[in-house]
Amino acid sequence: MTGSPGTDAGVILIGWQQLLLATGFVVFVGVLSLRLSLGIEKSLAIATLRTFVQLTALGLVLRWVFGVDSPWLVLGILALMMAAAAHTIVRRSPDAPPGIFASSLFTMLLTGFTVTFAVTGLIVQVEPWYLPRYVIPIAGMVLGNSMNGVALALERTFADMDQRSGEILALTALGASPWEAAGDSIRVAIRAGLIPTINSMAAAGVVFIPGMMTGQILAGADPVAATGYQIVVMLMVSAATAMGSVLAVLLSYRKRFSADGVFLEKGYRPDTR
Amino acid sequence: MPAPSLLSAQNLRYTPPGATAPVLDGISVSVATGDLIDVTGPSGAGKTTLLRAFARLLPNASCALALDDVPAADIPPREWRTRVALLPQVTSLQQGTIRQNLLLPWTLAIRTAESPPDDAQLTASLEGIGLGDLALDRDTARLSVGQAARISLLRVVLTRPEVLLLDEPDANLDDDSAAQVATLTQRFVADGGAVVRVRHLRRDGAATRRVRIESGSLVEVTPT
Repeated sequence: MTGSPGTDAGVILIGWQQLLLATGFVVFVGVLSLRLSLGIEKSLAIATLRTFVQLTALGLVLRWVFGVDSPWLVLGILALMMAAAAHTIVRRSPDAPPGIFASSLFTMLLTGFTVTFAVTGLIVQVEPWYLPRYVIPIAGMVLGNSMNGVALALERTFADMDQRSGEILALTALGASPWEAAGDSIRVAIRAGLIPTINSMAAAGVVFIPGMMTGQILAGADPVAATGYQIVVMLMVSAATAMGSVLAVLLSYRKRFSADGVFLEKGYRPDTR
Repeated sequence: MPAPSLLSAQNLRYTPPGATAPVLDGISVSVATGDLIDVTGPSGAGKTTLLRAFARLLPNASCALALDDVPAADIPPREWRTRVALLPQVTSLQQGTIRQNLLLPWTLAIRTAESPPDDAQLTASLEGIGLGDLALDRDTARLSVGQAARISLLRVVLTRPEVLLLDEPDANLDDDSAAQVATLTQRFVADGGAVVRVRHLRRDGAATRRVRIESGSLVEVTPT
C-alpha cells in the first residue's frame, strides 16, 4: 500500500496515513479531556475503536454480500437490522411498559420492508429486486431515521402519560376510554417523532448537504443527478418515520392501561419499570 | 329495615404492587340512596384507594361490587364509571373555556346518545354554586383554585351519576367555596343520589353517616 492517496475511477481512496491523521485529532481531544478533567477520554477511546472495528466489518460484510448475490442473504441482513433497531427503541424508552419490543419489531418490519422496497422496486427499479448495492444502504437510511422517530415518539408517549396521570384519571372517571384519555399524549408524541424529520427536510440543501447526496458527490456523481436520489430518499424517510411513529404508538399506548381501561400510574404497576 | 342498597361492596381487598400488607383488608359496605357518607382516617389509611375501588379504577383489587343488585361483572367498566363517578382529589381542568370543560363528558363516546346541557342550563348551574359572575367563555387558566374545584365538581354532577365519590372536595378551599361545595353535594343527595366523601379535617354537619378506615378495616362512627 502506498502512503499517498490513490484514485479509483475518480474516487480518492483513503490510505493508512489519512486514517492516522484523523485519529490524531481524536487523540488531541482525548488529551484535552484529560487536562480539563472532562472524564470522557475512556468513552471516546472506546467509541473510536468501535468506529474502526464496526465500519471495517461493515465494509467487509458488504463486499462479501455484494459478491454472494443471494436474495435470502439480503433479506436476512435486513431482518437483523430491524431487530437491532427494535432493540435500540426499547433501550431508549425507559418509561415504556414491558412488551414493547414485539410492537417495535413489528413496526420496523412493516415500515422497513414497505418503504425500502417501494424505493428500490417502484422508484429506482433495481434489477434484480434484491440488488444488495441498493437495497441494503437504502434500508439502512429508512430504518435509521424511522428508528429515531419511533424511539422519540414512544419515549414521549409514556413520559407524557405519566406526567398527565391526574388528568387521565379524571377523564377515565368521567367514562373515557383509554384512547380518549391518552389522546392528547398520543398526539403530542407523534408530533414530537415527526418534527426532526420535517425540520431536516426544511433545512436540506440550505443548512447542510444530506448524507446520501454527499456520498454520491464524493463518489464522483453529477450533483444534479444526486439530487433526484436524495429527494426520493428524503421523502421516503419522512414517510417511514411518520408511518413508524404512528404505528408504534398505536400498538403500544394501551399496554399502560389495565384490561378495565384504568391507566397504570406509578405505584399501581405490577412491574417496576 | 335498612334502605335498599344502591352500591354494595363485599370483602374488598387490595394490596399495592410490591407491598406485603394489604391497604384494604376485607371491607364490606353498602351505600343507599340518600346517603352522604364521610370516610375519615389517618393519612395513608386507604381512603382514596377505597374510592378508586368503588369506581372500578383500582387495578387488581379483589372485590364483589354491585350496583342496584347487578354484579359489576355484568356492567361494562366505562358504563359503571358514568353511574358511580369519582372526582379525584387533584382538580384537573382541560385548557379551554368553562363551557368546553363542562361539556367535556359529552365529547366522550360513552355519552354520544345523550344530549349535552345547553348554555342556559350551564349558566343556571353556575349560579347555583355561586359562580354566576363567570362567563361560559372564560378561560379556565384564569380561575382561582376554589373556582376550578367547584367547576370540576359541577362537571361531574351535571353528568347525573347515581353515586358520587368525592376525594377531599374542599381541601385547600376557603370557607366560602367549601360551603358552596357542601351545598351542591347536599342538593345532589336530595335529588336522589348518594355520596361518599373522603374528608380530612373539616366537619360540615352534612353527613348522614360517618365511617373510619383503621388498619384496613371500616369502622362505623356512631353519631355523638
